[in-house]
Amino acid sequence: MKPGITILLFVVTLGLGVTATRVMGQDINVAVSLDRDTIGLDEQALLQVEVSGTEQNLPEPQMPTLSMFEIYSQGRSSNISIVNGQMSSSVTYRFILLPTKPGTFPIDRIAIVHKNRRYKGNKVELTVLDQGIATPPELSESAQGEDGQSRDYFMEAVVDNKNPYVNQQITLTLKFYIAVQYYGSPELTEPTTTGFWSELLGNKAPYYQTINGRNYRIIERKYALFPTQTGELTIGRAAITTTVAAKTRRYRDPFDVFGDVFGRGEDVTIRSQPVRIKVKPLPTENRPTDFTGTIGDFSMSASANKAQVEVSQPVTVTIKIRGTGNIKSVAEPVIPELPDFRVYRASSNENITKFNDRIGGTKTYEEVFIPNRPGELEIPSLSFNFFNPKTDRYQQLSTAPIKLAVVKPEGWVASSDVPYAGPSVTIGSDARDIVYIKKDIGDVQPRGRIIFASPLYLVVNGIPVLALLGMVLVRKRREKMAGDVGYARARAAARAAKKRLAKARSIARTETTTEFFAEVYSALVSYIADKLNISPHGLTTDRVKVLLENKSVDEPIIEQLTNLMQKCDFARYASSSLSQDDIDEALASAEKVMVTLEGVRFET
Amino acid sequence: MRLRTYTLCALTLFLLASSALPAEAPEEFLVANRFYEEKDFASAIRLYESVLNQGLESSALYFNLGNAYFKNGDLGYAVLYYMKARRLSPDDADIRQNLRFARQYSRVQMEGVQLNPINTFFSSIVDSYRLSFMAWVSSLLFVLLMLILIVRFGVGMNNSAIRAGIILVLLLVVVTSGLTTFKYRRDYLARRAVIVSEESPVLTGPSPQSDVELEGAPGLIVEILDQTGDYYHVLFENKRRGWINRDLVAVI
Repeated sequence: MKPGITILLFVVTLGLGVTATRVMGQDINVAVSLDRDTIGLDEQALLQVEVSGTEQNLPEPQMPTLSMFEIYSQGRSSNISIVNGQMSSSVTYRFILLPTKPGTFPIDRIAIVHKNRRYKGNKVELTVLDQGIATPPELSESAQGEDGQSRDYFMEAVVDNKNPYVNQQITLTLKFYIAVQYYGSPELTEPTTTGFWSELLGNKAPYYQTINGRNYRIIERKYALFPTQTGELTIGRAAITTTVAAKTRRYRDPFDVFGDVFGRGEDVTIRSQPVRIKVKPLPTENRPTDFTGTIGDFSMSASANKAQVEVSQPVTVTIKIRGTGNIKSVAEPVIPELPDFRVYRASSNENITKFNDRIGGTKTYEEVFIPNRPGELEIPSLSFNFFNPKTDRYQQLSTAPIKLAVVKPEGWVASSDVPYAGPSVTIGSDARDIVYIKKDIGDVQPRGRIIFASPLYLVVNGIPVLALLGMVLVRKRREKMAGDVGYARARAAARAAKKRLAKARSIARTETTTEFFAEVYSALVSYIADKLNISPHGLTTDRVKVLLENKSVDEPIIEQLTNLMQKCDFARYASSSLSQDDIDEALASAEKVMVTLEGVRFET
Repeated sequence: MRLRTYTLCALTLFLLASSALPAEAPEEFLVANRFYEEKDFASAIRLYESVLNQGLESSALYFNLGNAYFKNGDLGYAVLYYMKARRLSPDDADIRQNLRFARQYSRVQMEGVQLNPINTFFSSIVDSYRLSFMAWVSSLLFVLLMLILIVRFGVGMNNSAIRAGIILVLLLVVVTSGLTTFKYRRDYLARRAVIVSEESPVLTGPSPQSDVELEGAPGLIVEILDQTGDYYHVLFENKRRGWINRDLVAVI
């Protein structure tokens, strides 16, 4: 998106926010920078002016008159960013400076004016050297071909130190110079670095330099190399393959633009010279006995995560060694045998930085100290040593001792029988898995059986209901008998009559017939009296007949009864002897009559 | 005559009681446990199910079967059998734990579960008791009520203690049998099901042409409200409704 559209979009979308920032932030900053501070007279410098602030419409800088340079604008680029709701924008203006005379020139009057305020840029200085002085003589030589002509392209491999100590960093710089048009991006074959631990530092943005009057484009790549052995080592050749314009065209027509674009390309491979390095061993003089081979320049610190701790609770001590040098080779500080602590290595990590072409960084060791006893304990000073090539000396670093107040936990016993194992672990309440299967099948029952349908349940609940009903009925009957004499007599009549008849039967075997019939007669009379709830005295046959007729008893029953009573009456007074058949017949008919009467309801 | 009646009663009671005694654990159960220990869950499932096919059930059997299905990666059936186990032994903390553990792995979790506060209250009372336990408690109270009624109306004893006793026990019988009925209705009469199929669209109507109301997932528990053809009309725990093919769910 074009900057203009971006700005417009923000003006539209931010609306109110814009006015707010207008009121609040009036910070406008003007930063002036040069890509180099020294150039040759036939070179050029890039001047950048960056105007930044919270405004969108930043004004253009006013350039002062710089009489010693020709100034060409290289355009501008803008950038808007919003951080935490705060908007900031910046516009960078680029200018090419071509020097017109040697000397040192300050550039300090670049400024912008905004809302009647003037914002000044910082001061920079550019030194312009006479032609030739900017180029070192070796480089001029390299640029010179064997035939005395200047080369179109060449490559240099340079190290900053050809006689390092083992494991000391040297920086290898590959520079590819090219003064002619080339197509595509050049392909690099890395140099062989056998005997070194190599770390790429990176590429520098291409820049231009004039050597022997020709302007070369320079592509630069840097490596950090750490020799891992002593003696003679060789950094191999690096090679670049690229396609350049064909060399046959000695005359270049300035109007033949397409001749270059579509021109006949030529593949060329440019090699650098191998570089010999002589690696010297570390001095044996004053070498500490516990030296582990670390080279560089380091500092060390140690800190504990707490100052007070319970016995058997862990304290983490973090040891940091930072500086420049091969950080990977930094060895763990030696921790002496400590009677008051158990020590565990928790972790170590390294953070490698490449600052100013130097490899360095921080190595962090975490050690866990577990105190064995309460009291004021001390984690002693820890030391670490290294060889510093800058001073050619061995150096030893020590940390300050760390004081720890170790307190007794509840129930702590000072005994060797109490084995306190490592740091305690906290177990949360969340399960990690399902509960394990059950070994015992438990109560097995037929599938789908429901308690309400089980016979036992029905019986257990049914019996009391039946018992209650039974008991209530029994009681009802008893109560009726107790309250109603007639009912009770009527209910008891048949039983009483049967008793009498049984008595009559026994009489018949022993006594006279008279007594037998008297008994049958009185049984019948008593029965009727009970049934009708009247007195048995003075009940004659005729009276019984009348009473029964009043009760609307059926005629044949009454007749049957009266016949029997008359028969008994007669037998009582006739006093004739009776055969067994007569007796049986009388008893049978008496029972029959009573059975019949029992089925009759007397209306009371 | 009297003696014979009593003997008969006692014999009947004994036979009834003995029919309620637990049967012996089948051999398959123990073998299935061994398969489970050896992490051969598929074989364990087959054997546990063979015990079920003998017409037997127990909460431990359902629990182990749920575990085996869970370990075998079949969440729907795991939840189904945990639910069955819980119905038989609602007081078993292991079953509740595993049911909760398994259900949290369901791809779909129901949000905004609306609970009827009255149901929730009753559920909280009856949840941890077995149905048979509750049935026997109500039954015991009922028998006690009958005995007091016999004393009052059969024997005819009548004083304030008896009258108070009748009212108290009557209230208890009403409460316990009410709760028992509630539990029975909820656990046995209300038909519930668990989604067991991986692909289980819940539709807006009982036909394959209906739109998808929501995408179900194994382990979701639904209540079956109705049935039309091959489709169940189901109610989810958060009161969402829809129709789901019968083959995609298993009835608890």
